[in-house]
Amino acid sequence: MASNAAVPFWRAAGMTYITYSNICANLVRNCLKEPYKTEALTREKVHFSIATWKEGKPEKPVIRSDTPEE
Amino acid sequence: MVIIPATTGQMGVLPGHVASIAELKPGVLSVHEGNDVTKYFISSGFAFIHGNSYADIIAVEAVPLDRIDAGLVQKGLAEFTQKLSSASTDLEKAEAQIGVDAHSALNSALTG
Repeated sequence: MASNAAVPFWRAAGMTYITYSNICANLVRNCLKEPYKTEALTREKVHFSIATWKEGKPEKPVIRSDTPEE
Repeated sequence: MVIIPATTGQMGVLPGHVASIAELKPGVLSVHEGNDVTKYFISSGFAFIHGNSYADIIAVEAVPLDRIDAGLVQKGLAEFTQKLSSASTDLEKAEAQIGVDAHSALNSALTG
């Protein structure tokens, strides 16, 4: 047997659940009326600092600030 | 009682329901308290039904139906239906299909 149950189409295409869930959430947010839409778009903003580690030591962290439009 | 939009279809949960976990698809969650019904549109998520008649609904977005703009839903549905027919890679097809599913669910939520 190749699989116990049919995998969802998005997983078959190589997408993870978290990507699927975030896409669904973005689609719903884009269909909201104002003022809820502008409030919701603030939830899409991400701001984080990322540091890659090499040989047990962190390199210089990079700050990433992504807006909803990629 | 709550009716949750599980991936296997609309599922009713009453007090005393057996403990289970259900994956949710974009759809309407309706909460029935006596004769009052409150409806929310859920973008996706999970429902954890516990053994003590408690249930938790986890969703990224849950909006009351009156916050949804019907015009934007129609526009989105047309856009993704078009993308689905012109998609080439598996990933593009998957993204377009998600768009179509989500907008169809939004549409049914508004008209149902």
